[in-house]
Amino acid sequence: MIRIGNASGFYGDRLGAVREMLEGGELDVLTGDYLAELTMLILGRDRMRDASLGYARTFLRQMEDCLGLAVERGVTIVANAGGLNPLGLAEAIEKLGLGAKIGVVSGDDLRADFPESLTANAYLGAWGIAECVKAGADVVVTGRVTDASLVVGPAAAHHGWARDDWDALAGATVVGHVLECGTQATGGNYSFFTSLDVDRPGFPIAEIEADGSAVVTKHDGTGGAVTVDTVTAQLLYEIGDPAYLGPDVTSHFDTIALEPHARGVRISGVRGSPPPETLKVCLNSLGGFRNGTTFVLTGLDVDAKADLVRRQLETALGPDGLTWTLARTHQPDADTEETASALLHATIKTPDAKRAKAFSRTAIELALGSYPGFHVTAPPSDGTPFGVYRAAYVPRDRVQHQATLPDGKVITV
Amino acid sequence: MRLPLGTIAGARSGDKGGDANLGVWVRTDEAYAWLSKELTVARLKELLPEAGEVVRYELPNLRALNFVLRGLLGDGVASSTRFDPQAKALGEWLRSRHVEIPEALL
Repeated sequence: MIRIGNASGFYGDRLGAVREMLEGGELDVLTGDYLAELTMLILGRDRMRDASLGYARTFLRQMEDCLGLAVERGVTIVANAGGLNPLGLAEAIEKLGLGAKIGVVSGDDLRADFPESLTANAYLGAWGIAECVKAGADVVVTGRVTDASLVVGPAAAHHGWARDDWDALAGATVVGHVLECGTQATGGNYSFFTSLDVDRPGFPIAEIEADGSAVVTKHDGTGGAVTVDTVTAQLLYEIGDPAYLGPDVTSHFDTIALEPHARGVRISGVRGSPPPETLKVCLNSLGGFRNGTTFVLTGLDVDAKADLVRRQLETALGPDGLTWTLARTHQPDADTEETASALLHATIKTPDAKRAKAFSRTAIELALGSYPGFHVTAPPSDGTPFGVYRAAYVPRDRVQHQATLPDGKVITV
Repeated sequence: MRLPLGTIAGARSGDKGGDANLGVWVRTDEAYAWLSKELTVARLKELLPEAGEVVRYELPNLRALNFVLRGLLGDGVASSTRFDPQAKALGEWLRSRHVEIPEALL
């Protein structure tokens, strides 16, 4: 059995979770997921400003605080915090001077194949991580591997799974899916939250057996709970077809069996089959600029008020790229000003930065010449760039999945 | 009885590019038998009129249905002008909709 925990479900998750997980009880591996489609865009913009960035900087702070502790306790750290620049993150960890053995997984960056995109990253699987773990890395940092690979990689290394151990790989993938969003498995964001104490849910842990089955649990004394319901909720998060496609295995979510266990929930029975011939690629490009504001429409004549301000703004600015939504939150004869008010959201999306900026000036110029009671919830900004996400699929042989081992040797997986 | 669906069903929702996913589950086999009959694609679209193209998947082993709402989020979270651009609360919206629930399931 290998005990794998999670301390991060996104870039911005609880900073102290790495220490909590290391100090809270027994662990073999501690994973952290820092990436999402939107995060890749944020990191892409970081990298535009400074080519040495492009990784999750909070992870570096966590390592500065906790990597020594992890090494002392014999806990291997595995995180996709490398983002767009895993080798840069490895260098920054090296500079902390803790003497930790670092493994790096890279090769996901496909900007050469998609030059029109700001970011282009294939979703790599678990085998690069497995190589780094087998080579004795204290910390493995990766680019865009699938979230579940953070769990599958160390489990595969520990149990010596082969590339076609489909059921074991599928079992670990399902476990990885449960762990990847941190406290969403332990009562966070949970529909029946009123039946649990979820003020400060603990992060999840999986005890994974050689056949890929596992017990999902958490450290003693932490908040939240691991129940069949909290695990079910997380299994349903961000999935599509029950045949869940990944780079290493297709995991059949309609074969998962959950049962209560003394320390949480046991997951078993998961069937796997070979993965697709192609790898998915996450593409982000800059779509243009956006800006927006929310007009507050209070009391009588809400529709006429909305019509007036909309007509005024569209006449002054031109209607191109403007979207309007009216939230009819107003109640008649209300006893508070807020519940007497409706909210009119206006958004502009435009390729022209100047037009996005002009939106603000135009909206504010109306302030003394529009509907009675004119005000906005927050003044509009100068406008911000926005990204457009797209998925693409490439043949596997277009991608060079590489593991840089702690001794500096680079192997293609 | 006419009650919010969330009286007996849990839900979790999120984004995948421009699509939203919405998983709904219940806690007994009897409730699942009812849910899988009640919550057809057509019924989901009645309850969530903002939905366009919807695909439904069944997960009887989890007593769950998973819906994919195609294109609900436009070009993805970073560009969507939709209220709740990541569809995080779509599931809680569905749970708040009133439906006729057999008394035996309450």
